[in-house]
Amino acid sequence: MYWVSIVTEAGIFAILALGLDVIWGWAGDFDLMFYGYLALGSYMTFVLTIGKPTPPVEYIIGGHLPVLVSMVVAIAVVVAFAAIIGAIALRNLREIYFAVTTLGAVSALYLIVENYTPLFDGYNGVYGLINPGQTALNLTYNGYRILLLVVVLLLLALAYLLVQRLSRSPFGRMLRSVREDERAAAAYGRNVFFSKYRAYLFGAAFAGLAGGLFAIFVSAFNPSAWTPQELLVIYAAILVGGRGNPRGVILGVFVIYIGLIELTRFLPSPASRPDFGPALRQVLIGLMIILMLRFRPQGFFPERPGVDPGPRPAGRRPWRLRVPAMAASSDTAAASPATTPASPEAASARQAADEGGAG
Amino acid sequence: MSDALLEIENLTKSFGGVHAVRECTFSVPEGGVAGLIGPNGAGKSTVVDLVSGFGLPDSGSIRLAGEQLIGKRPDVISRLGLIRTFQTPREWRNLTVIDNLMLARRRFADESFWRSMAHARRIRRAEEADRVAVRGILDRFGLAELKNELAVRLSGGQKRLLEFARIAAAEPRLIILDEPMGGVNPVLGARIGDAVRQFAAEGRTVIVVEHNLPFIERTCDQVVVMDLGEVIAQGPFSGLRGNPRVIEAYLGMDLGHG
Repeated sequence: MYWVSIVTEAGIFAILALGLDVIWGWAGDFDLMFYGYLALGSYMTFVLTIGKPTPPVEYIIGGHLPVLVSMVVAIAVVVAFAAIIGAIALRNLREIYFAVTTLGAVSALYLIVENYTPLFDGYNGVYGLINPGQTALNLTYNGYRILLLVVVLLLLALAYLLVQRLSRSPFGRMLRSVREDERAAAAYGRNVFFSKYRAYLFGAAFAGLAGGLFAIFVSAFNPSAWTPQELLVIYAAILVGGRGNPRGVILGVFVIYIGLIELTRFLPSPASRPDFGPALRQVLIGLMIILMLRFRPQGFFPERPGVDPGPRPAGRRPWRLRVPAMAASSDTAAASPATTPASPEAASARQAADEGGAG
Repeated sequence: MSDALLEIENLTKSFGGVHAVRECTFSVPEGGVAGLIGPNGAGKSTVVDLVSGFGLPDSGSIRLAGEQLIGKRPDVISRLGLIRTFQTPREWRNLTVIDNLMLARRRFADESFWRSMAHARRIRRAEEADRVAVRGILDRFGLAELKNELAVRLSGGQKRLLEFARIAAAEPRLIILDEPMGGVNPVLGARIGDAVRQFAAEGRTVIVVEHNLPFIERTCDQVVVMDLGEVIAQGPFSGLRGNPRVIEAYLGMDLGHG
């Protein structure tokens, strides 16, 4: 059952990462609010399903909906919330300014949820969503957990197919043009804000779904479950797998998530320092981000470029062939500096250019 | 005036205390190549930004085929049939050359979120027709062998050609080129001149902002001269040689030979 639990959790985070990759990998927006959407989806699924609170516990709504209906409503709430945040943050802010604004938004959300108890019972959080539907399905506890794993993996497969389809569509290509050069995209008729906005809402819907699944998975949820470090793991997974490549992203999550937990599980944990394992995990993640950015910023499965398989076969080494106009002029200067670095300086300049493009 | 494609009237824009463009008025007729010249700081690039929606003027009017452009976003103006370039090529770096051109084809309807999801197969078929056209354009600009390369891997000259290939793929009504000859060698320059003339031959209107006067003389049917944010002369290039204001603006440069 240990493995069922680990794989289920990784599957949920893979769905989350697919959504984040649309926002960061395709549209290029480094969103720090994202884990807040998972939390909101989780909280909403709880309060719509677990019924009225008994004092002194307090939270909003207290509905008695079937859990699947709750999850759909939760996704809608998350998307609506993202619509507000995105409308403000994506309008004019980019890169670090956008990141800081979304960090501010998630910090505000965190403080409000933690301190304003009528919302989701503050620091105590919400609980009591224990295997909803288990008796109706006539399953044992373990049978239910295996069913949950199957459902999560099915939803992940569905999410993957959806994202993969969009990734190769004109919509995905348009988003990437906005990421690569916003002004050129606008000069060619793309509404930059609206493009990014659509990606943002689409990504947030994935976070809402992941939040709902997470609620069922953990059966209790409070502010300690969504500290800012959690998002770093997801970003690290995308970076390792390959930003903009859905297959890479899923693989990255499974490798990082399961790999890290397994690696640190058997380490001796000093009794005086019970937080040694989790702390070491953070260090390893930080180290991995640095190493990836230095040596393979595009990830192990880089974004797949849109190639033309058409009738004209591509040249064996196409960068060697120069356009006639260039070939007629001074020869070495015309050779592409990106593929034939003449000096260490040129090589490091290319490195910098590559990293700039990826980060 | 009524047959003009682009009409600019009393356009004014200042940044802080600096009047970048002052009561600027000129028009460009449909078809042919117009040059917009002037010394550094004359306000040429500001005019280009204002026309293409990348800046908001303080006052004045800009009409494209009779439609007021002021207050419209760059993407809206672009969809009216205007494509502009920037002083440095702005290719979509980590996309392939062919994707750069497919984006320039601008099938906006197929880029809708729902259509992209629901009609993937129909869209792919429509794209195949576009790819044929795009391959022809790549051939024309000598980029066919590079079509599956990332644009970032291209040399400076190839990036210039990609810029022109994108314009050809977009099939705009009005093209504004902001210093297309910047940092370009003579051989590539001749090729760019040919491309500009070919756009005109296809019935498109081209406005070229440029410092390279021999290029302007060879390529343009008429010229607008700006200095200190104002239009100081307009007409065929040959008629400007004797114009004292133009000579003064160019510090007595011999306009005949650049």
